[in-house]
Amino acid sequence: MTSTVHIDVHHLTRVEGHGNIIVNVTDGAIEKCEWQVPEAPRFFESMVRGRHYSEVARITSRICGICAVGHTLASVKATEDALGIEISEQSRKLRELLKHAENADSHVLHAYILVAPDLAGAPSVFPLVETMPEVVARALRLKRLCHEWGSLIGGRTTHPTTVVPGGIAEVPTNKELAELKQKLVAAVPDLEATLETVAALAPNIPAFDRPTEYIGLSSDEDYGLYDGQIQSVLPDGTKQRYPVADYRLVTNEFVVPQSTAKYTKNKLDSYAAGALARFNNNYDMLVPQAKQAAEMLGLQPICTNPYMNTVAQVVEVVHSVYDSLRLIDELLETGVKLEPLAQPTKHGRGIQSVEVPRGILFHEYDYDAAGTCQGGNCIIPTNQNHNNIQHDFDVLVPQLLAADKGEKEMELALEMLVRAYDPCISCSTHHLDVTFVR
Amino acid sequence: MRYLIGLGNYLAGDDAVGVHVVEHIVANGLDRGFTAVELATNALNLVSYLGPETEAVLVVDAAYLGLEPGDYRVFAPDEVETQKELAGFSTHEGDPLKVLELARSAGYTIPPFAVMGIQPLAVEHGTGLSACVGDRLPSYAAAAIEHLTGL
Repeated sequence: MTSTVHIDVHHLTRVEGHGNIIVNVTDGAIEKCEWQVPEAPRFFESMVRGRHYSEVARITSRICGICAVGHTLASVKATEDALGIEISEQSRKLRELLKHAENADSHVLHAYILVAPDLAGAPSVFPLVETMPEVVARALRLKRLCHEWGSLIGGRTTHPTTVVPGGIAEVPTNKELAELKQKLVAAVPDLEATLETVAALAPNIPAFDRPTEYIGLSSDEDYGLYDGQIQSVLPDGTKQRYPVADYRLVTNEFVVPQSTAKYTKNKLDSYAAGALARFNNNYDMLVPQAKQAAEMLGLQPICTNPYMNTVAQVVEVVHSVYDSLRLIDELLETGVKLEPLAQPTKHGRGIQSVEVPRGILFHEYDYDAAGTCQGGNCIIPTNQNHNNIQHDFDVLVPQLLAADKGEKEMELALEMLVRAYDPCISCSTHHLDVTFVR
Repeated sequence: MRYLIGLGNYLAGDDAVGVHVVEHIVANGLDRGFTAVELATNALNLVSYLGPETEAVLVVDAAYLGLEPGDYRVFAPDEVETQKELAGFSTHEGDPLKVLELARSAGYTIPPFAVMGIQPLAVEHGTGLSACVGDRLPSYAAAAIEHLTGL
C-alpha cells in the first residue's frame, strides 16, 4: 500500500474555471483529501434587480459561455412563469431544437477536446493532431455543425438573441430548416465514427463505482432536456419526482470551509447531476439510435461509475441529432411564424428549470406589476456536483492507496474524475497575453 | 466573406472590449462589406469562420501588450508568442491564437488573419468598460473596419 502521498494540483487543467485537488497521506494515514473550489462568488442575482423582464435573460445568459442557451431558456421560462406568459408549441419545439444544439456542442467539446487526451495518453488535444488527425478533424467538423445549428435557431450559439419571453422573435425559414436537416443527416457518419472512437478508447476509462443519488429533469413526454419535473433515482432504482417549484427542498444548499461554492444534497450525502444522471433517470425516453449507442458503448442504467459521464454525453449527442431531425420535420410540416415578446398577464414569483450540459439548472425571479425584476436566484449544476466529487474522492483515494498507485497515477486518476463531471466552475476572463517576437 | 470577430467576457470589465466593438459596429450600421460576429468567450467557434471561402478575419480582443491602457495594436499571429497560461484548452479560456494553431495543424485553410489587441485597464468582475477604453470605441471600430476592408 502506498504510504506517503502529497498531491497539490492548483488550477486543474481542462476544466472550465479554477479548482484544486489536495491530497496528503503520511504513513498510510489520509490527513487531507479535498476538492477545493476557491473562486469568488460573482453575484449575478444582483445584476438582474431593477431590470425589465425583456432584459433579464440577456443578462443571465452571460453567466456562462457554454451554457448560455440553457441560462437563457431557464431565465425566460421562469420569467414566463412569473408573468403568466404562455408559449406556443412552435416556440417549444424551436427551443428544444436550440437546447439540443447546445448540449451536442458542449458534449462534443468535452469528449473530444477535454477528455480524449486523457484516454489517449496525451497531455492535451494538440498531440492528437499528429497521432489521431482524423479524430481531431472530425471534432472540429462536429463543433462547426453544432455552432451553425445553434446560430440558426438562437441568432448566435453563444448568448442567443432570438429567445424572448413569449416565444422566438426571429425564426428560421423553411429553407434554412431543411438545410439544417441536411447537415444533421450528413453528420451521421461522423456520429458513427465518434462511437467507434469512444468504443476504442473506453477500455482506458477507469473502473470505479460509487453508488449515489442521481437528479435530473424528467418527463413522461420526452428525455426532459427542456422541461419536466425534478426526478431523483437512487442506486436501487427507486425514483421520486418533485415539482420544480420545490427545488430548494431538493438542493438543500449548504456551505463548507474548503469551497466558496455551495454544496447540495438530497436523500443521500450527495447527489450527481449531468449526462449520467439524466441517462440513469430517463433512459427509457432516449431515441432508439441513442439506446443502440449506449449498448455499443457498454452503458446501461443505473450506471454508478462517474467516469462514464463522458460516455453518457456521447449517447446524448446521438439523441440530440436524431430528436432534432424529428423536430425539424414537425416544424417543416406546420411552418414557422414570428412570436415576439409577449405582455405579462400577472406578476409575482416564477421558478423554472432546464437541463444544461452539466446538469439541472434552476432560475427563480420575482417581478413587480411593471414587469421589473425585484430579485432572483440561480442554482447551477456544477455547484450541485461539487459535493458528489468530494464524496467520490473520499472513496477513490483509499482504493488507489490500497492498489499501491504512485503519486502521479493518483493525481491523474483524480484529475480525470473531476474532468469527467465536466465542471464549469466559472467563465473566466478571456484576454490575450502576448510578447512580440518580431 | 470577411469577418470581424469580437471576443471577451461581457461581465469582466475591459475583457469585453472586443464584444463592445462589435456591438458598436452593428448598432451604427457600420458592418458593410464584412460580417461582425460576437463569439464572447467561445473562441473555439473561430474554426467555423476559417476556410477557403473566407477572405479575411480580424479578431478584436483585449490583450496585454505592454501599452498604455486603451492603446491598441493590430498584429499577425506570427508576430507574437502567447504568454497566456491556460488552465486548459476550453471554451471559457480559449486563446484565439491557440485555436488558430489547432486549426492550422488540423489542415484548415487559414485566411489572412489578424488580431486587434486593445490594452485593458481593468479586467475584473462587472459590466462596462473603463473610461480610457470605452471612450475610444468609435476609433477602435474605425481602425478595425479600415484594416478589414482595406486588405
